[in-house]
Amino acid sequence: MSLRSPLLLAALLLLPLSFLSQHTHAATIEHDAGTLTLDKTPTRIVTLAFSFVDALAVAGVSPVGIADDGDKNRIIKSVRDLIGDWQSVGSRYQPSLEAIAALKPDLIIADSGRHHSIYQDLSLIAPTLMLQSRGITYRENLAVMQKISSAVDKSAQFKMRLKKHQKRMLDLKNQLNNSDTYQFAIVTDKGMWLHSPSSYAGSVIKELGLNSPMTKNINEPYLQTSFEQLLKTNPDWLLVGQYTENTVLDKWQKSPLWKMLSMAKSKQLIHVSASVWSLTSGMLAAEQIAQELASHLKK
Amino acid sequence: MTRYTQLLLSGFLLLFLLACLSLAMGAESLPIKTVLQTLIHGGDQDFIVNYYRLPRILIAILVGMGLAISGVLTQGIIRNPLASPDLMGISGGAGLAACTMLLIWPNIDNVWLPPIALLGGFSAALVIWLLNRWHNPSPARLALVGIAISAFLSSCINFLLILHPVEVNSAMIWLTGSLWGRNWDYVWPLLPWLIVLVPFSFYLAWSLDLFALGEDTADALGVDTKGLQIAALLSAVALASVSVAVCGTIGFVGLLAPHLARLLVGSRHKLVLPVAALVGALLVLSADTLARNLAPPLELPAGVLTAIIGAPYFLFLLHRYKGY
Repeated sequence: MSLRSPLLLAALLLLPLSFLSQHTHAATIEHDAGTLTLDKTPTRIVTLAFSFVDALAVAGVSPVGIADDGDKNRIIKSVRDLIGDWQSVGSRYQPSLEAIAALKPDLIIADSGRHHSIYQDLSLIAPTLMLQSRGITYRENLAVMQKISSAVDKSAQFKMRLKKHQKRMLDLKNQLNNSDTYQFAIVTDKGMWLHSPSSYAGSVIKELGLNSPMTKNINEPYLQTSFEQLLKTNPDWLLVGQYTENTVLDKWQKSPLWKMLSMAKSKQLIHVSASVWSLTSGMLAAEQIAQELASHLKK
Repeated sequence: MTRYTQLLLSGFLLLFLLACLSLAMGAESLPIKTVLQTLIHGGDQDFIVNYYRLPRILIAILVGMGLAISGVLTQGIIRNPLASPDLMGISGGAGLAACTMLLIWPNIDNVWLPPIALLGGFSAALVIWLLNRWHNPSPARLALVGIAISAFLSSCINFLLILHPVEVNSAMIWLTGSLWGRNWDYVWPLLPWLIVLVPFSFYLAWSLDLFALGEDTADALGVDTKGLQIAALLSAVALASVSVAVCGTIGFVGLLAPHLARLLVGSRHKLVLPVAALVGALLVLSADTLARNLAPPLELPAGVLTAIIGAPYFLFLLHRYKGY
C-alpha cells in the first residue's frame, strides 16, 4: 500500500493532463485588450509589427501577412531566413484592413500602442491579440514573445530556444565585461533620438552588463537630443542607426565642439543597422545586437 | 427635362458609378457580381464590402457634402470667393477640439465627437468674427488671416501630438484628414447632424440669393439679413465641424466644390447648393478611392490628395482676386 498510493496519486494527477493533451488546442492568453481564447492552433497568422515576426520565427511559424510598409527588406535577414514568404498588408501605421481580411487569417497580432483604434475591426476579421511592440524593454519583450508562442501552441520550442538564447547572451556578456559607457541613437535629417535603458536597444545593452551614460533613471524610451545634450551625455561609445541618408550628424561633425566628445577622440562612433537595433525587437534581434557589440569591442 | 435636371441626374449617376467602383476596387479587387451578392447576402467578402468599404464610401459622401455646403454658405454670407471652412480656421478649431478630447479620453464614445468638434469650430469662428468686426479686412486679407489661424491651430494639434506621442495614424487624421479605420461606428454619430443641417441649408439658399444683391437691397426686399447671416454662418460652422469630427481636416473641398459648382450652373444659390454638394461628395469619394488604390496595400491619407488639386487652385484664386 505504501508503494501503491503514491503511484495512484500520480496517476490521478496525470489524468487531467492526459485529458487536456487529447484536445486539439485550447490556449487562453491575457493581452492588452482582454483575454483571448483560441479553440484550435492558428495557422494563418497576420502580424502588424516587426517584433512579433521575430517571436513567430523563433517559434518556427511563418506568418501569412505582415504590415511591412511595402518593403520585405524591413524584416531583418536573420528573421527572414527562418520564415516563408508572406503578403504585405500595408504600413504599420495604417495597415490595410481589406488586405488583412483578404488573407482570411485565423489570428491577428496587433500592436496595442498603434492599433488601438482598429481593434474592433480586426476582431471582426479574426481573433486578435493586442500586444506591446514599441518602447518596451528586453525582459518585457521576452514576456510578449512567450505569449505569442503559447498562442501558436509552440511553448516547448520557445522554451528550448530561450535556453539557448540565454546561454548565448551570457557568453557574450562575459566577453564584453568592461566599464565604458554605451549609447545607441537613431539619427535622421530631423534630429537624433537617444534610446534610454528603458528602450529595447538600451535594455539589451544593460542586459549585457554594459553601462549607460544616462545616470538618472529615465522612463521615456526615446529622447530627442540636441548637439548640446549629446555633449552633456558624452558616451564613450556611440552606436548610431540611420533612417535617412543625410543626418544631423553630418553637420554636428563639422562643429569644433565635436572633438570634445569622448567617442570622437577615441573614434568610437559606430554605424549599425537601424532595422536590427530599432525597427524590430526580439530574441534574434537581441542576439544580433549583442554579437555586433562584441565584434566591435574585440577590435 | 431642363439642362439643370440633366446635370443633377448625371452627377448622381457619376456618384453611383464611383461608389460601385470604390466597392469593387482596393487591395483585394472584386468583380461587380461578387460585390452585389455580398451586399445582399453577405458571405465570404462580407467584411471587405459591408464592414470596410461601404461605411467608408458613405462617410466620404456625407463629409464631402457637408464640407461643400459649408463652403457655399460661408462664401455666400461673407461674399468672399476665397472663404471656406478650412481656410478660415473652422476645420482647424474643430480638429483641435476633437483631437484634444481623444487624447484626454481615448476610449470615449464616438457620439461625443461631433458636439465637441462643434465647440472648437464655433470658438474658431468667433475669433474670425471678432477680427472681422474689429478690423474689417478686405476679402483677400481675411483669407490670409484665416490661413494664419488655421496654421496656428494645426501647430497646436502638432504640439499636442508630440507631447503625447500616440498613434502616428491619429496625427495623419487630425493634420491631413483621412478615412482610415472609419467604419459604421462613425456613420451613425454623423448622420443625424447632416439630416438636420443639409435640408436647413437648402432652405437658407432661397434667401441667400437675395442677400447676394447686397445687404441693403436684401433688407429692402424683406429678408431678415441679420437673422439669415447668423443662421447661415452657424450651419456652415456646424456642417464643417461635424465633418471634421469624423475624418479630420480634409482640406480644400469647401473651397473647391462651390467654385466648380458655380462654373457649371452660374451663381444662384438655389441651383449651386445641390450641385456643390454633389461635387463635394465626388471629390472626397474619389480622393479616398485613389488613396486606397494608388499603391495597395499601402494607404495614403485622403486629405493629401484633395490638397494636391486644391492648393494650386487656391493660389490661382488668390492671384485672380488680388485687387478685390
